[in-house]
Amino acid sequence: MVAGKDGDGRVRGRAAPAAAETGGGTPAASSPTLHPSRRPTRREVTAALAACGVALVAAPPVAAGAPRAVAGPPGAPGEGNGTVFEERYRGRLIRGVWIPHGTSDSSAGTPAASGTGAGEWQVTVDGRPLHLMRRADGTWLSMVDHYQSYRTPLEAARGAVDVMGPGQQLRDLAPGPADGLRQHPYPHAQGVPDGVRA
Amino acid sequence: MAYVRKNVAALTRQEKRRFVDALLELKRRGEYDEFVRMHIHYFTPDGERGLRTAHMAPSFLPWHRRFLLDLERALRRVDSSVTIPYWDWTRDRTTTSVPWRDDLLGGNGRPGDRRVTTGPFAWAHGHWTLRVGVTDGTFLTRDLGRSHDPIALPTAAELEWALKDPVYDVAPWDSTVTKGFRNKLEGWGPGRGSTSWRNHNRVHRWVGGTMLGAASVNDPVFWLHHAFLDLQWTRWQRRHRTGRYLPAQPPGRGDAQHGRVVARHQKLPPWDVTPDQLEDVSRIYRYA
Repeated sequence: MVAGKDGDGRVRGRAAPAAAETGGGTPAASSPTLHPSRRPTRREVTAALAACGVALVAAPPVAAGAPRAVAGPPGAPGEGNGTVFEERYRGRLIRGVWIPHGTSDSSAGTPAASGTGAGEWQVTVDGRPLHLMRRADGTWLSMVDHYQSYRTPLEAARGAVDVMGPGQQLRDLAPGPADGLRQHPYPHAQGVPDGVRA
Repeated sequence: MAYVRKNVAALTRQEKRRFVDALLELKRRGEYDEFVRMHIHYFTPDGERGLRTAHMAPSFLPWHRRFLLDLERALRRVDSSVTIPYWDWTRDRTTTSVPWRDDLLGGNGRPGDRRVTTGPFAWAHGHWTLRVGVTDGTFLTRDLGRSHDPIALPTAAELEWALKDPVYDVAPWDSTVTKGFRNKLEGWGPGRGSTSWRNHNRVHRWVGGTMLGAASVNDPVFWLHHAFLDLQWTRWQRRHRTGRYLPAQPPGRGDAQHGRVVARHQKLPPWDVTPDQLEDVSRIYRYA
């Protein structure tokens, strides 16, 4: 899929150098791991996206034929290995930024299937984080559309927009796999139910 | 004495009312929302790291079996006559079939915002305000049959395709396997488009709206759908007498699935119970 061909908006891609600025030294890269699939907090994402915004202003447009990054993120929307995308789709603003993990965190990274380096896509819809997850075949699921996967983060974000009703926004702290249960321990989680052979 | 789970099409008017009232009472107490949270928390796809229990894993069936038992236990604390009915989507296939009537789950969402406005779970009644979810929408939404690009519910033939597979599941025990009863029932196909939604997945997509997201439990049809899937596990066992939950042993250290799936005799988080212990529940309930 080539960025900018679908939807009713524009996609802007940026090559790796802009994102190197974005990712380097972000809080996401140095935060302690709370959970194997911990996502950066909203504040971290906001910070990363703010940095991304600066990069978009500061970086010159990428010329056609600009050199591609060698080790870019998986699922980049355009040709090559863009690390930022942005598009207005059905009235909503979709943005994505690839956040490389810090090199000191050897356990972090995308699945081996990606084979393109450690990091993760942070995607927002109208400025609110949309949690994405990967399937083993390399496709992407979102929290809004959980029973279908898409080829790229951008397609997954569009799929989420397609499903979200008019006027609805992602929750500020959309519950991710690592959130939500600590303050609310599941009340039925212990014990073998009556009748189950132990 | 085992209790009976019935086809929703066979419930009496009173049975429907008691089931609905018990759900509303759990919601009022805040217990229901814990089930929504729980399902969100345990959705770990196979492209991420960590143990998978609820989806894209062999324990898809026992995980949801135990999840339903927990809800059912909570419902029966409210009203001991209540059991979870099942929705046979191979037979009740239209937008006006039994589950969608005003005396049970209410109907389709309205055009535009897809809000469910009929039946006991309609937002306007004030008894079913969504509090745990992916979006800030506080009302239940449905788009039965996917109005903009219609799809059909899975057919009896598609279900049979899963049931006739004599092997419960195969390595690598994830969403990419093309053999085995579990994934044929769960319904992950290759890539995207219609082949990636069979049986279980396809029903979530057919209902649409709230049922598509991580917080799909917010739509009470979730339980009717999963009770029918649970019944398929029982049918599969009856048909394949020697068929057992697989893997029997945990994948070894050199295996990419090491520590990522629950084997037959391992604990199934978050419970202190194993798939082996959940294979036979005939002492708890049976299907009519």
